Amino acid sequence: MAEVRALLDILFKGCVLLIAFLALVPVLHLTLAAIVNGGPVIASAGLKFFTEVPPPPGNRTYGILTSLIGTIELALLSTLVGVPISFMAAVLVVEFPHSRLGRIVRLLSRTLLELPTILIGMFVFTIIVVPLGSPSILAASIALALVMLPYVTTYIETALSSVPRTYREAGLALGMTKARVAFTIVVPIAVRGVVTGILVGLAKAMGETAPLLFTLGRARTSLNVDPLGPGDAIPLLIYDYAQAPYENLREVAWGATLVLITLFLLVYVLARLTIRGVRV
Amino acid sequence: MVSLRFLLAVPLVFLPLIAIIVYFASTGAEEAEKTVLIGSGSSFIAPQMYAWASQLKSKYPWLAVEYESVGSGAGLANFLDGVRDFAASDPPLPKNLWEKYRGKVIQLPVILGAIAVIYNLPEAGEGLRLTGEVLALIYTGEIKYWDDPRIKELNPGLNLPSKEIIAVHRSDSSGTTEIFTLFLHKSAPSVWPRELVGKAIDWPVDRKGNGVGAKGNEGVTSTVKSTPYSIGYVEWSYALDSGLPMAAIMNPRGEFLLPSIESIQKAVQNVELPESPLGDFSSLPLDVVYADVEGAYPIVSFTFLIFWVEYPQEKVEAVRTFIEYVSTEGQMEGNVVKGYVPVPDNIRRFNLEAVSLVREG
Repeated sequence: MAEVRALLDILFKGCVLLIAFLALVPVLHLTLAAIVNGGPVIASAGLKFFTEVPPPPGNRTYGILTSLIGTIELALLSTLVGVPISFMAAVLVVEFPHSRLGRIVRLLSRTLLELPTILIGMFVFTIIVVPLGSPSILAASIALALVMLPYVTTYIETALSSVPRTYREAGLALGMTKARVAFTIVVPIAVRGVVTGILVGLAKAMGETAPLLFTLGRARTSLNVDPLGPGDAIPLLIYDYAQAPYENLREVAWGATLVLITLFLLVYVLARLTIRGVRV
Repeated sequence: MVSLRFLLAVPLVFLPLIAIIVYFASTGAEEAEKTVLIGSGSSFIAPQMYAWASQLKSKYPWLAVEYESVGSGAGLANFLDGVRDFAASDPPLPKNLWEKYRGKVIQLPVILGAIAVIYNLPEAGEGLRLTGEVLALIYTGEIKYWDDPRIKELNPGLNLPSKEIIAVHRSDSSGTTEIFTLFLHKSAPSVWPRELVGKAIDWPVDRKGNGVGAKGNEGVTSTVKSTPYSIGYVEWSYALDSGLPMAAIMNPRGEFLLPSIESIQKAVQNVELPESPLGDFSSLPLDVVYADVEGAYPIVSFTFLIFWVEYPQEKVEAVRTFIEYVSTEGQMEGNVVKGYVPVPDNIRRFNLEAVSLVREG
């Protein structure tokens, strides 16, 4: 009997491992494909891959300056717009779940999650791009902020609600107001989850293409960092260049893919390192 | 203490990023006053626009032309909404829109393109010859096999297999489809009725089970590449890039021609232009497709740049410079991207007239 059990145990373990591995395969494949195809492109161009503007068709195989700077600027601006709103929304929903406002905010944030991102792009196009008369980095950042809003809110919400009730009760017993309990007790305890939420937002903002289609413009001829002017972004560059009938553009797209993946990892690792010392 | 560390952690992540932005903002500010023109539209012309933009930038550092490929229809709508400075469109303004904006809008036929018929026939290799009528019969599903007598008759020397023809077409709405179906209609009106001309149509061959839809030029190209015994139509640049054989297509003079710079330019050499760039171009596409000219490739189209006559003062010089460049130097060899064809001299001169039409307003 014991042998059968041991065997079943091993079999089960094997199955779990195999399935877990299968879940990882697409991620590994993607990363590997980007390294294999994009690595040589970046290696042969060197630093120029990052410091030149994107090439015209049938020309050189390097240059993503405008997209790289654009993506970083977009990620920053949209986080700046999106995170404070998400943070306050999450606090409201978790700490005051029965207030009318709390319920409305929860409902809206869930609805926003279901909205196709291209619709958000079109919405921002009509309310910001058309009145301003031109696509802009600002408009794109607002579109991205709207896209990341529900994700960040949900992450921060989960983090805040995982804080045990007893801590809140202790604070209330000391005569603190509900808001004070939320900001001085609950939020600091849940800081790790909050930061994860912000990171997810940042990653979301870096990787999205659809909300940018109508809002960002494609400023590839020369670098523009003015938020009111048009910009560029790596996902948009990949989207355009990957389908082009010119070998050099497709190579740039592969290189850009590798850069995008590296950026993800960089932000993630950096943040993880700075957070590591924090103990609950 | 925890909250203090948290407060430290966030800037640590963001600071390097902010530093990069500030660095580039400061280097960018050193550049002289720059005029930016933003356009959008035709995805067909996009690679050529990127090339022109980068040539212009090296010649005129103060001028930045940015282009978004969003499709001709969307680009035109953006332009008319005032959200873009110019538009690029494969079809010219339709007559009713032209009437509405008469005298306010400049249209310039700046580049020529062609649609190539690509095919995948492992046994036969290169050298397939087709007529508009046979193509129409293939896309209606009437001709089902490669060894159909009507194909054999045109290609006595080819080893045509007895395999079903897979007819690949665009699944998305596309100007390429419009030009291709216009060609089918003009060359074989009895087989391909007027109702079947458009950006997205109900393909008769789909109902017979031999049609396959694919998204974009790249989709059609890769479908044909991976499907033996298939045939498809794509922009010339995609056909060149794919390495697939192209079929020679018969023009009204009975000549079988492959797309080439010469054969494509021939198609427009006798074309009748309006009196000025302010005129109505709406009948032009029909004239250049299946043009009755010796040596002319039959599936050819223009792409137009569309400008306003009046621009705010700070943009006038930029628009003039841009128009002048695309009408002169931009048409020279080396400045035109592979797969595109410069317009003939008479059309360049015609386009150059527009420089003096642009004014402040």
